[in-house]
Amino acid sequence: MTGERRREILATIQRKPGITFRALARELGLGIGDLQYHLARLEKEGRVFSRKVGRRRYIFPGRMEEDAQRLLIAISTETRRNILLLLMNRPMMQKELAEALGISQPTINYHMSELLKLGVVRAEKKGRNVIYTLAYDPETVLRLVNEYRPGLWDKLADGLIDLLAGGGWE
Amino acid sequence: MMELLLAIVTMVLSLLLAWVSFVAYRKSHLRPALYLLMAFILLALKKVIEGLSLASWIERDVGVVTAILEVMVLGLLLVSMWRR
Repeated sequence: MTGERRREILATIQRKPGITFRALARELGLGIGDLQYHLARLEKEGRVFSRKVGRRRYIFPGRMEEDAQRLLIAISTETRRNILLLLMNRPMMQKELAEALGISQPTINYHMSELLKLGVVRAEKKGRNVIYTLAYDPETVLRLVNEYRPGLWDKLADGLIDLLAGGGWE
Repeated sequence: MMELLLAIVTMVLSLLLAWVSFVAYRKSHLRPALYLLMAFILLALKKVIEGLSLASWIERDVGVVTAILEVMVLGLLLVSMWRR
């Protein structure tokens, strides 16, 4: 019975990488304590990987640990989450992203270079323009972004990051 | 009394801003956030030194120390505005 329950939990995490603890408990109809126990066992065996970001705990299959780390860094600021949501609809240029989000182009440029480094977006040169596309499974990205609940410090820090990334003089 | 209250408020705000800068640095690794973190910590430290100088058991003049801290705070704010 315990083994069956654990297999069910693992299958759900594999089907929905990045599912949050709450969503997993809701989906499987499990109690918090029960799920905590099984997840602790699965994590100890290296079959799942979990990380708390913002106010949520995200759970991934163990083999996705490296990907998960990159994705969680990618969604850790509000501007990057908004950029990813926009790129989910269609490929866009930096200028379009800046206009859509009402943010300065240097700020967008900083975030795009971070997202490129993390491998979450792809840049393609077309003539004189650089078009950005999402380079990761949109369903997983959407799940992570939708579940993200930033704390007060996160919100303040995100504002400061945008200010510092976009401001200053040469 | 009012002076002490304002000093405490300044110190608390400096520490809150230092924490925000720390969170921003941890998330972004932007060097200006680190300079801001140092500036706000120094500002809080300056307030502590100024507050302690009010106590009778401290006889040393802390004017020079607080003035140096002030210069350092302003210097760090200036550096944090420099574009990378």
